[in-house]
Amino acid sequence: MAMTIDVEHLGGNPPVTVVALAGELDASNYEQVIDVVRTAYAEGSRGLVMDLSELTFMASSGLFAMHSAVRIMRGETPPDPEEGWGALHQMAQDQDAQASNVRLAAAQEPIARVLDRTGMLRLFALDATRADAVAAVQGA
Amino acid sequence: MDHLAEVRQFVRETVADFGGSKRVSDDLVQACDEAICNVMLHGYRGKPGDIDVEAQLRDRRIEIRILDRTPTFDPTTAPKRDADTLPAPTRIGGMGLGIELLRTLTDEVHHSARPDGGNELTLVRSIDSPTQEE
Repeated sequence: MAMTIDVEHLGGNPPVTVVALAGELDASNYEQVIDVVRTAYAEGSRGLVMDLSELTFMASSGLFAMHSAVRIMRGETPPDPEEGWGALHQMAQDQDAQASNVRLAAAQEPIARVLDRTGMLRLFALDATRADAVAAVQGA
Repeated sequence: MDHLAEVRQFVRETVADFGGSKRVSDDLVQACDEAICNVMLHGYRGKPGDIDVEAQLRDRRIEIRILDRTPTFDPTTAPKRDADTLPAPTRIGGMGLGIELLRTLTDEVHHSARPDGGNELTLVRSIDSPTQEE
């Protein structure tokens, strides 16, 4: 099953982009997610919500994409996948800094489990709904 | 890389045929994807190569075997959480969390060198294990 990416730009302060992923996020398509986030940041978005309600699978390359999204939305260069294990190490080092402007929403149980198991929930807040996540990013 | 989705589907259908729960299926799908990405990343280094996946149910345990033709490498002996000392792999599908993740998703991980060259990695998970939290 392929993945589809639906992007919605919301106004407000900060401007938020909602990226809704549907299908399976794996090694064949994780770079598309990074590209979408990079574009959103370049176009002025300073908040990001990943709507995972329709996502049924996330490989570790997907976790890498989520981590890259945090870096991009901080205005930093995302880790280069070429670095391989080095990038993983960096991800582990980053765990103490939970992003306030990047939130995940509505993850299905298997995906919430993999996020939890790999320590990624220390990087992201996971909200029950997309609306909750947008409100949290915008400090409502 | 396009075959990853096919392998996941194969694992899902096989675990269902064996009578495994969704939880067991989800974990084995995640583990197989991870193991195969690691073979593509570290073994074939981004070049095309054969990977075979077989599954069987024996003594209420699901065994999934992943066979490749890459140089012998036993991931089960890799040092734990020592990412800095490992060589950077050639890019292919992002990075793998590797053996650590496989261990949390399965009951056992075994490696053997194939007599005619290549590796055989076996992931074992009890079909009756409802949950397996660390």
